[in-house]
Amino acid sequence: MTGAPGADQRRQLILLGAVGAAAGVLSGLFGVGGGIVMVPAMVLLLAFGQARAQATSLAAIVPIAAVGALIFGRADNVDLVASLLLAAGSLLGVQVGARLMHRLSDERLSLIFGIFLVIVALTMLVA
Amino acid sequence: MSPDQIGDLVQLALIGLAAGFLAGLLGIGGGVLMVPAMVLLLGFDQHVAQGTSLMVVIPAALTGSYTHHRNGRLFLRDAAILAAGGVVGAVIGAVFALSIDDDILRRLFAGFLLVIAVRMLLPKGLFRRESKG
Repeated sequence: MTGAPGADQRRQLILLGAVGAAAGVLSGLFGVGGGIVMVPAMVLLLAFGQARAQATSLAAIVPIAAVGALIFGRADNVDLVASLLLAAGSLLGVQVGARLMHRLSDERLSLIFGIFLVIVALTMLVA
Repeated sequence: MSPDQIGDLVQLALIGLAAGFLAGLLGIGGGVLMVPAMVLLLGFDQHVAQGTSLMVVIPAALTGSYTHHRNGRLFLRDAAILAAGGVVGAVIGAVFALSIDDDILRRLFAGFLLVIAVRMLLPKGLFRRESKG
């Protein structure tokens, strides 16, 4: 936040809400958190630093994923046993990842994020 | 429990570990990894893979966010606004996802990843806005 109130800040809040809505649609539709859209959008459109964008994204994912999980769960599309096993692994993994994030510079994080997306992209193009 | 089943259980925990690591490090949910892994490696239906992925993301994102918060990197107001839009969008997306066939949803998911791929491979200048002051 640059601190300048008024039109500029309003624009930023509206953009944030719009980015969230777009990411929410993708999250509900494809079962992903939406961070893959929110992080680049906050960095590119709102000039957030990489670490700040990532931390903000991860927090927003909590209620967004909860709504999606509720709707999918009501339709019997959640495998609870698989969820528990995946969660056991991911609760450990997320702490390792989050602690590592705070040791890395924004430049380094941007590079890693970009490389990750390219890997996702190439995997898709080959598959 | 057969060795096959034990193998599946171990695979699930390892997929979760990798997805959680990405979530903490990169601020994404990890679903982009979990959903294809469940469908391709473990033969889950696309719908079940997506619903399960969303479920798993909740505790991981919550505990990861707490770690970011303790490190002073989390701006809760920004996250709340992002989430407000996101919750509305998620209802629309999820209801639509449940209304379509599993095969079609799988193809849409592949198309979504492809769009991200193309966007990433394009020169950044096409998208990057000038950051103000």
